[in-house]
Amino acid sequence: MKKLILFCLVLLLSGCVDKEILDDINIEVGVGYDLAEDSKDKYRGTVLFQEFQPDKTVINRTFSGSGKLRQDLLLEVTKQSSEPVVTGGLKLAVFGPELAKKGIYDLVDSFQRDASIGARVFVATSEGKALDMLNGEYGTRGNSTYIYNLIRHNIEHRDIPQTNLHILANDYYQDGKDPFLPRLKKTAEDRVEVVGISLFSRDKEVGILPVKDMFFFKLLVDKYSEGNFDVKLKKGDLAAVKSLRSKHKIKITDNHASISINIEGIIREYTGDKLASEVVDTVQKNLEKKVEKESLRLLRQFQELGIDPVGFGQLKKAQHRNFDFKKWKDDYKTLGFDVKCNVTIEETGVIE
Amino acid sequence: MKEQPVPERLQISPFLVFYLVMSMQIGIGVLGYQRIIAMDAGYDAWISILFAGGCIHVIVWMIYKIGETVGGDIVTAHKYILGNFFGKALCSIFIGYFILYSLTVVRTFVEVIQVWMFPELSTFWFSFGFMILCVYIIFGGFRTVVGTAFFGLVLPAYLLLTFGWAIKFSNFYNLLPIWDHSIKELLTASYHMSLTFIGFEIILFFYPFIKEPKKSQKWAHLAVLTTTLIYTILAIITFAYFAEDQLSKQIWASLTMWKIVEMPFVERFEYIGIANWNLIILPNVCISIWIASRLIKRVFNIRQKVGVFFVVGGVLSVIHFLDSRERINTLNDYVGKMGFTFTFIYIPLLFAAVMFVKKLKKGKKK
Repeated sequence: MKKLILFCLVLLLSGCVDKEILDDINIEVGVGYDLAEDSKDKYRGTVLFQEFQPDKTVINRTFSGSGKLRQDLLLEVTKQSSEPVVTGGLKLAVFGPELAKKGIYDLVDSFQRDASIGARVFVATSEGKALDMLNGEYGTRGNSTYIYNLIRHNIEHRDIPQTNLHILANDYYQDGKDPFLPRLKKTAEDRVEVVGISLFSRDKEVGILPVKDMFFFKLLVDKYSEGNFDVKLKKGDLAAVKSLRSKHKIKITDNHASISINIEGIIREYTGDKLASEVVDTVQKNLEKKVEKESLRLLRQFQELGIDPVGFGQLKKAQHRNFDFKKWKDDYKTLGFDVKCNVTIEETGVIE
Repeated sequence: MKEQPVPERLQISPFLVFYLVMSMQIGIGVLGYQRIIAMDAGYDAWISILFAGGCIHVIVWMIYKIGETVGGDIVTAHKYILGNFFGKALCSIFIGYFILYSLTVVRTFVEVIQVWMFPELSTFWFSFGFMILCVYIIFGGFRTVVGTAFFGLVLPAYLLLTFGWAIKFSNFYNLLPIWDHSIKELLTASYHMSLTFIGFEIILFFYPFIKEPKKSQKWAHLAVLTTTLIYTILAIITFAYFAEDQLSKQIWASLTMWKIVEMPFVERFEYIGIANWNLIILPNVCISIWIASRLIKRVFNIRQKVGVFFVVGGVLSVIHFLDSRERINTLNDYVGKMGFTFTFIYIPLLFAAVMFVKKLKKGKKK
């Protein structure tokens, strides 16, 4: 009897909350924000849904709306969507160029506040409107999946440094460190490309690194990284080096930061006659010199912009009790750098 | 008046004290204690956890000394000092304490479900279902409650591993420089750890139910040590994962850390984690209701089953009125303060009184 009552209660109580059946909801998988043209509203947001068809194709569907808050946008979008909108599957957030310059913090905060949004969401800036970016037709697995995978494999094996929503928020809140985001561009109706890195001061975009600097940027920012770089040799020969492992160490003293970078790599391609060991030596030397030169240039550039994506301030703080970040802001401007790079080429491929 | 000893078939093996103490200590506090202690002592707060853990060992030692001297639970101890009437009167305060404790645990957990999973979940009906389960368990007797404590600790233990995902995104430089805060700040942080740490005081209430109490002392100490280590390690991971300003905004830092978990078969791990947390909360509530009803029995000579209904009724009748973050927070603070006063101030006083009376009685005998 007792058990019967309990069983009945279980049945009764299971109706307490709303059901959300996967086929009957719209899962927001990507979102883009631009500045609104109408000055009354703050943002123009675009929400991307992926509809999975029975024949395994995916239809990209976007809805746009304007508003002052992220919730306003969701409300507008819900008005247009035939099914309830849920945010739990968000994978990608793109910010348009004007918005990035004006500040993205409010939106990042709203992502963080939403319990159903994960920390692994990729956040990126776009060249051209975020709306156009989400409106393309990329790949066969849906736009969001396409761009998500694009960023992910570039982080894992190529030149985009580690980034996601958590790292963005972490850098934003961390004193003595500034955030950065990958920058994307829609190059054709079916193509998206990584075009650089957006550098932020607090939450406002202040500079853009071109693709050619990304290799060095990643070496400076990521503790361990992989990446690719072409080395020019004499006589116009070229060698493509892939760094398998790299590691950086930063030592910071009173007014000087010395950075040592260790790269272990392989040669992927070589356009000269014979890849003799002397050539490998020159490749190593040239790459070392290049890394040292370019890294220094980047560091000076950051200094001029007054930003610190590497996090020298944070490192400095770790060494001093009662650290004064206001004073550090001035000190950073006069901080001296030197970069030491050590390259080891381990393999040169299967032919000699 | 000589008290009836608890029959052996109702007693528990000494090693089970380990599970009882640990499952009572680990509850809702773990979900968000990092922020509270970091407010005081910044990222040096892990030192405070170790310090608080160390203090608890002394209290546990006192508890066992009290139990040994009076040969019974807290009611016996009070009678030993104050006599029958006043002893019982003083003990009735603890009934209120444990009712409030179970109320806090259930309400805070429901809040977590409402914020993280189902905003429209009804507080009353969920608590009602939960209480039915608790009543069912408590009617099975103390040994069933202990069984729940065992499973409530062992089954969800795997959740600890899930915090490993956060390590990949952690920066342990955050913890440097160590000793960036004054001793006073560290001590305030230790004080604020109390809501998270309380729970070990229950030994004083089920002391007569342990088969060979002397043998169980090492298990109690081991339990406190394990909890301290778990809290410290979790705090260090949290501090490395969040920037300090970022952590100050996270009400449930432990849950937010689950957002980074990535598994091929589940998009949001929080849902699994929170559902599992039910199992961790269950012994918390069961034990505190059991203790409250046991106290009712001891103080007012009412049947324990009636006491259980009284406690559950009390919790259910007020739980609906705690409807905002603010009120729940106040309740949590309040219970934390009460727990602190009880464990760190009252128990040492009780210990001193028991020792004093013991000497006095010895003197009389001579």
